[in-house]
This record gives sequence, C-alpha cells and structure tokens, in this order.
Amino acid sequence: MDIRTQMSQHTFRRLLALPQPLRLRTFSILNRPPPNYPGHVPLTLVERGALALGSAFGSLRNPHRHDLIAALGEATAKPYFIARLRAAMLANPTGRRILRDKPRITSQTMSLEKLRQLPENTVGRAYAAWLDREGVTPDTRDQVRYIDDPEEAYVMQRYRETHDFTHAITGLPVIIEGELAVKAFEFANTLLPMTALSLVAVVRLKAVERKRFFETYLPWAVGNGLKAEEVINVYWEEELETDVEVLRARLGIEIPPDLRETRKLLRDKNKAERAARDAKDRLGAGMGL
Amino acid sequence: MASTALFRRVLALPPHLRRSVYSSTATHTGASQPDIYDVVCIGGGPVGLSFVSALRSHPSTSALRVALIDSQDLSTARTTKDTETYSNRCSSITPASLRFLKQIGAWEHAKRGRTQPYHAMDVWDGVSGSKIHFDSVDQQQTGLLDAVAEMIPGSRFQASRRKYQVEDVGVATMCENANTTSALLQRLHDLDEERLNERRVFDMLEKTRVESIDLGPESKDEKSLDLSQWPIVTTSHGKIAARLLVGADGANSPVRQFADIPSPGWDYNQHGVVATLHVDRHHTVQDLRTAYQRFLPTGPVALLPLPGNKASLVWSTTPQHAAKLKTLSPPDFTAAVNAAFRLMPVDISYMLSPTSTTTPTDELAWRETATPAASTGLPRNFPRIASVQEGSIASFPLRMRHADTYTGHRIALIGDAAHTIHPLAGQGLNLGLADAESLAKRIAYGVDHGMDVGSCWTLDGYNSDRWAKNNAVIGVVDKLSKVYGVGSGPVVWGRSAGVEVLERLGTLKGWMMGAAAGVK
Repeated sequence: MDIRTQMSQHTFRRLLALPQPLRLRTFSILNRPPPNYPGHVPLTLVERGALALGSAFGSLRNPHRHDLIAALGEATAKPYFIARLRAAMLANPTGRRILRDKPRITSQTMSLEKLRQLPENTVGRAYAAWLDREGVTPDTRDQVRYIDDPEEAYVMQRYRETHDFTHAITGLPVIIEGELAVKAFEFANTLLPMTALSLVAVVRLKAVERKRFFETYLPWAVGNGLKAEEVINVYWEEELETDVEVLRARLGIEIPPDLRETRKLLRDKNKAERAARDAKDRLGAGMGL
Repeated sequence: MASTALFRRVLALPPHLRRSVYSSTATHTGASQPDIYDVVCIGGGPVGLSFVSALRSHPSTSALRVALIDSQDLSTARTTKDTETYSNRCSSITPASLRFLKQIGAWEHAKRGRTQPYHAMDVWDGVSGSKIHFDSVDQQQTGLLDAVAEMIPGSRFQASRRKYQVEDVGVATMCENANTTSALLQRLHDLDEERLNERRVFDMLEKTRVESIDLGPESKDEKSLDLSQWPIVTTSHGKIAARLLVGADGANSPVRQFADIPSPGWDYNQHGVVATLHVDRHHTVQDLRTAYQRFLPTGPVALLPLPGNKASLVWSTTPQHAAKLKTLSPPDFTAAVNAAFRLMPVDISYMLSPTSTTTPTDELAWRETATPAASTGLPRNFPRIASVQEGSIASFPLRMRHADTYTGHRIALIGDAAHTIHPLAGQGLNLGLADAESLAKRIAYGVDHGMDVGSCWTLDGYNSDRWAKNNAVIGVVDKLSKVYGVGSGPVVWGRSAGVEVLERLGTLKGWMMGAAAGVK
C-alpha cells in the first residue's frame, strides 16, 4: 500500500485512539492496578496525602507507634527523595552490589549468637551489644507497602533495616532523645523527608533534654551527616568483623557523647542534691528552725 | 639590406610575438600572470559541489568561468558497492534541501536504494520521560475531512481534498555524505559532457593544495591589469585570481582567515560518537520509518533509520564517555547503545565511567529488568540494536561558531566555513545547502543585471538573506542543548511541562516541523 493510504489510516487510528490514560499519575480507586510486589498497596495521590497527614499527627501523639512512622516515611518519599536515594546507591559500586544481591536483615539472616562471639570493638559485636542493651530484635521492622517501584521499595526497606546499625555505631540509645539525634543525622545523610518531619517531636522533650539536643546532638548530627559517606551504601553483612573505629573513620563519623551515661550522671546528681536537701530539711525540723 | 630582411622576418612571426616587438602592453608575462576566473570555490564537500552545480545548471551563470579547488581526490568519493555496509557519515536532508538538489539536477544521480526517507520523529527526555511525537501527518494538516475522503476512493470529494494536500516528503531523508557528493560530481561531469563543443569554462582542480591566499600585487602602470583588490590563490599548480572567492572549506576556513572575518563561538564539552548499527527487524521500502532521539543530561543520543535493518547513531556525550565507548568491544558497545535509550542516566554514566568493574552487557542485562519502559518514556516501537558495523565507530568534538558576516570584498562564505552547529537537530548540512542555493541565486541576479559578481551589490543580498536565519537556528539549537543539559531541579520540571503541552498542540507542532524543514 502506498504512503498516502498508509498515512490516512494512521490519522484514523489516531482519531479513534483513546486519550492517553492518566494511570502514571493517578487511577480510580474502583479500578486499582495490580500490585508490583507481594504486599504492595497502590495509592492515589489523595490517599497518599491523607496517609501522610494522619501518620504524622498519630506518631507525634504516640512516638512508640513505629508502624505510623514507617507509613509516614513511605507516603512522603515519592516522587523525588526515594529516587534520589536509589540513584545515590546506583552511582556507588558497593550500593550497586547491594541492589543486585538484595540482602535482608532479619533474625534468621543475622544470627545474634554468632555476633556475640565476635571480638570486642567489631561492628557485629557492637550491634549485638546494642540490641541487648536496648532490648530490641531485628524483626521489629515493618514491610514496605506504599512505594510503587519494587526497587525503590527495597531501598526503603534496606534503609529501615540498617537504621539499627546506625544506632549501633553511634552508640545512641532507643529513647526519644537518641532517636531524634539519629533521625537528624539520617536527614543530613539520606534526605528522606520523614526523618526531617520526625524532628517535630522535640516538642515532647523536657526542657533539659531539649537544651541538650539543640546544644550538643543536633550540631553533631547535621555536621556529621553532611560530612560522612552515604550510610545506605555500606554493605553491613560484609562489615560485621570490621573494627568500629576503622569503619567510623572510613565513613567520616565522630562518636557523640554517650547519652545514657550523661542522663545517668544527671539523674544521680539530682538524686544526691534532693537527698541532701531532704536531710537538711529534716535536720532543720529537728532543730525547730 | 639587413634591416629589410629583419623587417620581413618580423612580419613572418606569429601575431602575438610580432606584437611583442613593437608594443610592451601586449607582452605575455608568462607564468607570473595569474589565471583569472569569475568564481573560485575552495572546498569540494557537498556544499561547495552543490554551489558549483547550481551555477553550472542555471542558464544565467552557466557561462561564468568557474574553478573548484579541493586537496583530495574527488573521483574516489563514491559509495561502496556493498549494500550491507553504510558509511558512518550520514546526513539528514530536509525537504527544502532535497528540493534544491532536485532543482540542480543532482538528486537523480544519487543511489536511491541507499537513501531512507523517514516520516516520524520520537523525541523524549532522558530524566523525566516526557515525550513528543512528530509526524508528517501534523505537517500535512490532514484532519477528519481528509480521512473521510480517503474512504471514498475516486469520488469528487476526494479529488477536492487532494488539491489541498502538500506533496509527501516525510520529515527528512537520510543520505550518506559520499552518496550526495558522488551524485553532485556525476551531475557536474554530465554538464561538462553537454558542453563538450563549447569553450571550456569549468575547471575542477582536485588534488590541489591551497598554499596561500593574498591580494594581488600593485599594478605596474595605469594600463596593465590591476589585481590589487582581487584575491589571488596560490596553489601547488599555479596562481588563480578570483573575481569572487567562495569559501566552502570547512570549519577552519583559510578563506575566512584571509578575509579577517571573526567567527565567535564556544566549544561544547562534548564529542559526537557516530556509528552504523544493525537493528533487530528488517524494514522494506514501503515501511514508514521513525527517527528517535533521547535527551540525556550528558547530551542527546539519536538513532536515525537507514534502508533495511540498518541505522545511524549520533551520540553526543562527554569526552571521557566518548573515549570509553571507542575502547569497548562490539557486543559491549551494542549494550551501551541499548542502555543509552533504555536505562536511567545514572546507570549509563556508571557503565561508561572509567572505574566500573562490570561489563556493559552484564549491567544492561541486570538494569533492564529493574527499569520499566513506561517510566523512562521509551517509545513502544523502539527497536533493539543487534550489532554494530565493524570499523564504523568514530567521534569528533562539537562546537558552535558563527562568522560575523558571510561576505567581504570579493569573498563569500558558505557551509561550515560560515557556521558550525550542534548536531542535535540535524541542520548543519541543510543550512550549508541553503547558503549555496541563496548565493547561487544572488550571483544569477547579479549576472542578469550586469553587476560585478564579486562586489557588494551582489553579495549583500546573500548576507541579508541567510545570516539572520542561520543565527536564529544556531541560537535555538544551542539553547535546546543547554536546557537539556540540566540533570535535575526546576529546569527539568519546566521543560517536561512544556513538552507535554506541545505534544497536544498539533498545529503548533506542524508549524515547528515546517520551520525545521526549511519550508519557505
């Protein structure tokens, strides 16, 4: 058939073609697309916005709701931030290996008994010691559900599972103050919006804790987070036997003051002062003053 | 009587020697007098050859004495007999340039089996995936009425609609430079054959190196020829004086340097990598072909169709990436080209970085599974590159230059001597051919109106005709390359939004295609 006929057929096809579907941006909730990976729940823009708002306020009211914090992270990561993090992993040779192997950190893959046997000052021993000290296990991490691309979903999952390793090598505890310091560090390092949004929880701190946070831990977190290498690119499964000091030096992270020690010292000091005051009062009462 | 015998001997001499005895002005100064030509064109590329062919084909200018000088052997500028190999120097010829080549009678000598017209263009953004599809259907402005008319063949309605349709030439035609050059040479040869009985006016001085270009010497007295304002070209075969010296001699034009015309511009920090590729499906002559271009932050990569299962690659990228591409083995090069169209920019940069430890084939196999085609904007009909033609991978640095003026006293510049442009829009050769057409028209006008073809009376018209138009095209192409050189941020969002809007405005797209096609 000649070119002219072929082109008028082409015109006709274009006229009859349906308008380009808007599925790339949104879809009808009555016609949800199939999941891209097991556990995936595709959300429309409105649903994602509502999830973000609800989980933000819910986790502010009750910071122990780790599932709301996880949902907030997933709802606010698209479109740019999780893509940027994934590109940062793809630009790094170790990050690419992690994305190729897709390792998971669970209590099956991370045998705590073996980690406890490792010599002192190794990453694995520090991780196991930290888990024991805080009383948590690697299984407390939720599955990613609301991120559409399977590879970006893995990046989010990896970030969540290696969050405890960040705690371990910085020595920060699992109380709110420690968590906020780690979140500030992670924001400077990964740029995920959820980490920045969690810093709103400083309103829940006591005055003393807030002062300590703004004076010591926030400057430490921002300075080190910006200066350090991307922590998401560390292949933790291979670094279990590395010396912690060596790893910190390689990544460019300085250890902050031990938070539990500081709090314990302060608590002891306050207790001693209160005991002295009580003793003085009793003495005073006894002498009739 | 000795003096009478001498006088009789002088009278017996041939005329030019007899005259030399009693007249000094008739003295033949021999080899030091340069050979005078009306038009001398330095440069035997497609633009120079088309200019000379236009002069020779036009009745007004066919009697001018013309010389074409080139340092290479032009008779070897032929395409190979092998139908399976294509040169990596191909150009996209727009409908306006094609009309010019047909008008001067050169296109009929081109090997049509080795040219490929294409009717559509898919252009998409490598960062955001927003795409735009150009169809010659948009250019034709066929609408519902025409589609209905085609359903009733032979009707008066169809005949009335046909009247309004523009001749179908598609978006452009891909043609090897050697094909165009050999067609033009064949036309010049045929024109010479026609005029075998007449005085020879056209000289093709091939294998002639230009040693210098100077102004002529001061004349000895008032009566002898004054060539002091004429350019004299000193070649390895002698001196040539030109009434009009035309520079079609490429980006480092000696004619432009002689005329002291500055040519400001800048170097893009990019090299253009060209190659001839084999794609996975075979096309027949009747198939509608598409050209593809993807804008990556490091530079655009384009796949242009050639007959059969061949395609031409033009990939503008950083010098480091270009160097790495040239060292890759053929399967790795093929994987890298497939990756350039299918993967995310971060993956392509990693593949071509000097520190990557895995092979491109390996990386492509893994990353392709993780990169859905919908997110990168890959067109549905995009072919798979199967292999690369041996020995066809080459690269050249990209730059932008535009001469401040195209003319001087007895000087004119056409083609790359006048302007150099980024290859992303395929306009370099087309601007040069339009220059040649315009200059030839102006010279014909000058001859018809009794002007000196080297004077500003003839040449100013050429400058005013072409300079502003070329400047606009060069400027737009430069800004496009800069806008698409950004990798992230608000510029990406802005250009994507613009492309999405333009994609839906058929009339505006048709106008843009008309402008790019050079339709007057």
